[in-house]
Amino acid sequence: MKTHAATLAAILLAAAPPALAQAGKDLYAKTCAVCHATGIAGAPKYGSAADWGPRIAAGLPKVYANALKGTAKGMPAKGGNPALPDADVKAAVDYMLAAVKGAGAPAAAAPAKEAPAKEAPAKEAPAKEAGRPPPPKAEAAARPEAGTAAASAPAAPAAPPVQLALAAPAGAEANSFNRLLKPAEKRNPAPADDGIHDPANDGTHALMAPLSAYAGLPRSLAGNRINWVEALGQKKIDPRWDRTDLKAEPVIMDMNVVREVKGSMPDVVYPHKQHTEWLDCSNCHPAIFVPQKGANSISMASILLGEKCGVCHGKVAFPVSECRLCHSKKKEPAAARAQAPAPAAK
Amino acid sequence: MKPPRRLLGTLLAAALAAGAALPARGEYADVVLNRRAEKEGVRPVVFPHWFHRIRFRCKVCHQELGFRMRVGTNDFRMADIIDGKFCGACHNNDVAWGPERCDLCHSGKPGLPTGIYGGHETNGPGRW
Repeated sequence: MKTHAATLAAILLAAAPPALAQAGKDLYAKTCAVCHATGIAGAPKYGSAADWGPRIAAGLPKVYANALKGTAKGMPAKGGNPALPDADVKAAVDYMLAAVKGAGAPAAAAPAKEAPAKEAPAKEAPAKEAGRPPPPKAEAAARPEAGTAAASAPAAPAAPPVQLALAAPAGAEANSFNRLLKPAEKRNPAPADDGIHDPANDGTHALMAPLSAYAGLPRSLAGNRINWVEALGQKKIDPRWDRTDLKAEPVIMDMNVVREVKGSMPDVVYPHKQHTEWLDCSNCHPAIFVPQKGANSISMASILLGEKCGVCHGKVAFPVSECRLCHSKKKEPAAARAQAPAPAAK
Repeated sequence: MKPPRRLLGTLLAAALAAGAALPARGEYADVVLNRRAEKEGVRPVVFPHWFHRIRFRCKVCHQELGFRMRVGTNDFRMADIIDGKFCGACHNNDVAWGPERCDLCHSGKPGLPTGIYGGHETNGPGRW
């Protein structure tokens, strides 16, 4: 119980200003993770107590100073971005520290011995080690609730850390029998963990991780789990239309083609607009689609086999699981059609 | 101490590679190019669509640079890239890193066949 109280206290301390904590997390994802996620170039790895232990032992001010001013070992000042405010850099440090130890407490206890002492702290450490990795996320989710709605129904404030520590690892495994249903933490893997990059290759660790680029982009439920059309529409990304000419703009054609479908699904509305924002006419016409009404026979089978829409959808554009993004025009109700076939206009 | 552990590691890796325990996932729309790479003694190339589409629209590569939109149909060599064609139009140390940074592109796991990766959503009708 005492350890729980200590954990809770540590969490409360660490998560005191939620806005700053979020800034630290964002900055970590955007900048620090490039080296600290994998530990390249000798960077202390995120979540690795062995890497961080000796640094924490040197004292928090020293860790902050290393982050702000850089080190001879290779840490660039402020992660290489001098424009960053000090507070954000410190928040990112806090975020990384929160993943390895009961935030501030060991920093004071540790200096004497590099390895944490054996009795009480050793008992505390495993509890924290087990509890730690999930809480940064869980805290972020749980804190605001506790802040805004002081007494929300499900849990007394003391309970969550304990429950989460136990439930998170079990929950991650619960559905692993379904190979197609990826738990959230398995989505958008970093190159070294994605199963197609060779982790033994040095270059792999220098590559950007998808999640570090996706911060702030509108999400979707499939594919990269980014709504690329929306991202472009909201000007969250500004991909070039021309390789060299930064000013070149696409010629956007705003014309919908409606395809009536046989089954009970809603009819398909094909928008030229969103496609011409990304593609040239010649990408689709005439090789994939004959530019003439009624000249193209399209079926879901052919799409799944990578023909027609399936040249991109299910490969690079959103996959066919997102039925309603294409099948979006409601048919008239079947009852109305059956009862009154005569008024064809309706 | 060391050799047995290494042996164990390779055995484990082989088991993983052979079994379906760790399917090659990748990020959605990652492309592995291995028509020639491994025959020439380098790792296969992994092309991440997500990274490029943040910076360029489809049209730049698939129309200006002449990449055909079917995996495996673009038959080019390093010589073409060094000449400034295909990837070399940008990977020229001007827009992006140049062709001498082999390991940044040739970073795939040995033995992966050419194809589009990124989970079951890219694997065609059998997986739906």
